[in-house]
Amino acid sequence: MNRIAKTAAAALFSVSTLALVPAAPALAETVLRLDEVAVGELDPGKASDYADSILMFNVYDTLVLPAQGAPGLVPHLAESWSADGNSHTFKLRQDVKFQSGNPLTADDVVFSLDRMQALGQGLSYLFTNVEKAEAVDDHTVTFVLKEPYAPFVASMLRLPIVDKKLVMENLGEGEGEMKDWGQAFLSANGAGTGAYTVTSHNPQQETVMAKNADYFLGVPGAAPDTVRLRYGLEPATVRTLISQGEHDISSQWLPPEVLKALAQDGAQLLTESGSGAFYVKMNTTKPPLDDPQCRLALAKAFDYAAAIKMIAVTDDVSQGSPATGAIPVGMLGANPPSAELVRDLDGAKQHLNSCRYAAGDQNIEISWIAEVPLEERFALLMQANFAELGIKSEIKKMPWALFAEQVSKAENTPHISQIFNNAVTGDPDTLLYGMYDSKAPGTWQSPEHLKDAEVDRLLEEGRTNTDEAARAKAYHALNNRLMEIAPTIYGYDRQSVFAASNRVKVPAMSDPSKAFGLDGMGFSFRLMEMQDKN
Amino acid sequence: MRRTFSILLSNPLSVIGLILVGTVVFSALFADFIAPFPSHRGAVVDFSNFNQPPHWPNIFGTDLVGRDVFSRILYAYRISLMLGVVVLAIAVPIGVTVGLAAGYLGGWADFILMRLTDVFLSIPPLVLAMSVMGVLEPTLTNGMLAVTTMWWPWYARLVYNVTRSEAQEGYVLAAEIIGASRWHIMFREILPNCVPSIVTKMTLDLGFVILIASSLSFLGLGVQAPTPDLGSMVAEGGNYLPDSWWLTVFPSLAILIAVFGFNLLGDALRQILGSDQ
Repeated sequence: MNRIAKTAAAALFSVSTLALVPAAPALAETVLRLDEVAVGELDPGKASDYADSILMFNVYDTLVLPAQGAPGLVPHLAESWSADGNSHTFKLRQDVKFQSGNPLTADDVVFSLDRMQALGQGLSYLFTNVEKAEAVDDHTVTFVLKEPYAPFVASMLRLPIVDKKLVMENLGEGEGEMKDWGQAFLSANGAGTGAYTVTSHNPQQETVMAKNADYFLGVPGAAPDTVRLRYGLEPATVRTLISQGEHDISSQWLPPEVLKALAQDGAQLLTESGSGAFYVKMNTTKPPLDDPQCRLALAKAFDYAAAIKMIAVTDDVSQGSPATGAIPVGMLGANPPSAELVRDLDGAKQHLNSCRYAAGDQNIEISWIAEVPLEERFALLMQANFAELGIKSEIKKMPWALFAEQVSKAENTPHISQIFNNAVTGDPDTLLYGMYDSKAPGTWQSPEHLKDAEVDRLLEEGRTNTDEAARAKAYHALNNRLMEIAPTIYGYDRQSVFAASNRVKVPAMSDPSKAFGLDGMGFSFRLMEMQDKN
Repeated sequence: MRRTFSILLSNPLSVIGLILVGTVVFSALFADFIAPFPSHRGAVVDFSNFNQPPHWPNIFGTDLVGRDVFSRILYAYRISLMLGVVVLAIAVPIGVTVGLAAGYLGGWADFILMRLTDVFLSIPPLVLAMSVMGVLEPTLTNGMLAVTTMWWPWYARLVYNVTRSEAQEGYVLAAEIIGASRWHIMFREILPNCVPSIVTKMTLDLGFVILIASSLSFLGLGVQAPTPDLGSMVAEGGNYLPDSWWLTVFPSLAILIAVFGFNLLGDALRQILGSDQ
């Protein structure tokens, strides 16, 4: 079968080459085609998920970038930065122009922050601690924080810099001086300095982007001339399109079996890892999960090895690696890879015996997000695992919108929720604070509704102490505490896997020394290399 | 009765219908004995044997958590049939009563009951069922309720039309003259004459109820995991086409067989009972 497939592929390839050669002069335009979830948000004040990040990292730029192949940050729109107490000062490059032709100034940075805070959507929660930003001169800007916040510079990765002049010229309807803050304009148009300009944008269909010839760093010739990012394609459609050579990079949301089939057909697998994990969250306010012993019993009964097996794509590529605790391996405060979590049914039984509820009395509700079919399998796995302890459970499918609404109240939150979460700036604070701090409101990140003073203290220590070693110590202690009281089953450390045609090379997602360690940054189109012209 | 059977057996299509329906009902009733892996209808996972193409002993392959697709289809039939029977058992009495009352009593009763029926009929059935399921929790009972809501008006309409014409017949007038009660006339005199049409429609409908229930669960509004259900099996398998084709093809064929069988049988009954009249 495989041989036939290979022969057929070879035959197809030769036919397509024959067909292409006369039609494709060497300088023809290169087109990169990819897909993502159902909706793409182009407004920098509202962008939040992976699809949005791809748009932000290409249409806009940020003051800093993650270093490639190493932890830490490198200059980007900012040449340098310094901290003095609660104020952080950035020196901007002087040679940067927006796509509109307007020069980049400190005013634009101030405007971008003001707009983010005024809209209060998307990732704006990262900036609630910022009191104000001030333009010191044309190319110097100072951010003043309300309270010390150690990973502040990293949060600049999530502040796309917007062209103030262009937005002010295009304000829509609204109250007050700033009217709608340009929401109508920015939801359909780009206003950044980025390497790609927006040609057209339909948030539920497709965004088309083209190379920005005036990009301040220059865009290499091998980078795609045009990028078509399509939304909401069915896995079976993507599977067929890639096989037929009509699609280049899949989303990371393909089920492992589909990725496996594509890899067998000769597609390459791209990976991005290091900042996220799969969490099975337990509602710590509902019996029997309000007793840590019961939670520990479930955590020990979970079959970690089966989970890893479920997400394996090929022998060397998997959508995840074994978890070692609450913090993914490689991040500040994480346990070493050798400390991987394993199933311990006897330990689970012991914990269950210490639990103040009898196993048979309770019926646990295991929810899964309807949009993520993989979660149904984890639900079934847990149901079987917990049944071995004599714990009854029922499985409940929930559309994302319903789930996001129900988790706002502890009493409506299901016993068990499954969440993929990642550190939006690569720093553990942005992963853990929203999930575990007792002051954090009930959101999809925090279906545990955890209230634990020790956890709160360590989270505070991690975000306020500017000494890196002290931070690492705090996060280690936090990790241990979170294992001890087990609000969550730490399923596995996540790795995003994408299937791609061989028409494109993506060093940032195939060469570990060029990886960014920040979700979505691997999709910087300017760093991709198209292999043929068509 | 004998004549009915001989007509039934003389038409090859109705024979096929009978065989298909027989197979479906037999599989559903005796799933416990036929299914090679009866435990696979519940909370079972087997990651040493998941997503395997058809092979012995998993003749329809295994699904994404290692359960036998063949066994699950047999149990899914049981649920589909149960759903069909329960829905019709609730919808038919309601619809028939409404239709009889409106058709025989006439006047205001006719106006109110039939306009109410029209309101239900004016909403596309799947949309109506989806909105009911949207308000209630997605469970089997609520699924039945949702399908029932959309099904009774059709019986009301059918029985109403038959009643209107029967009410003009001589035997009804005769019963009225000797002073029979309205209740007696509706249920003892008119209803028996509606039975052939009702039975035919019920047989035809059983297939459609199964189809609608599958559509609901395809949209994620039906039976919840791990209970096997044909519609959800097709919906989940669709993501893995064309490689894991057995996840979609076999449950789809199972739906096809059930719906096709009940349709052929219903058609045959219509011919037979129609010729009787």
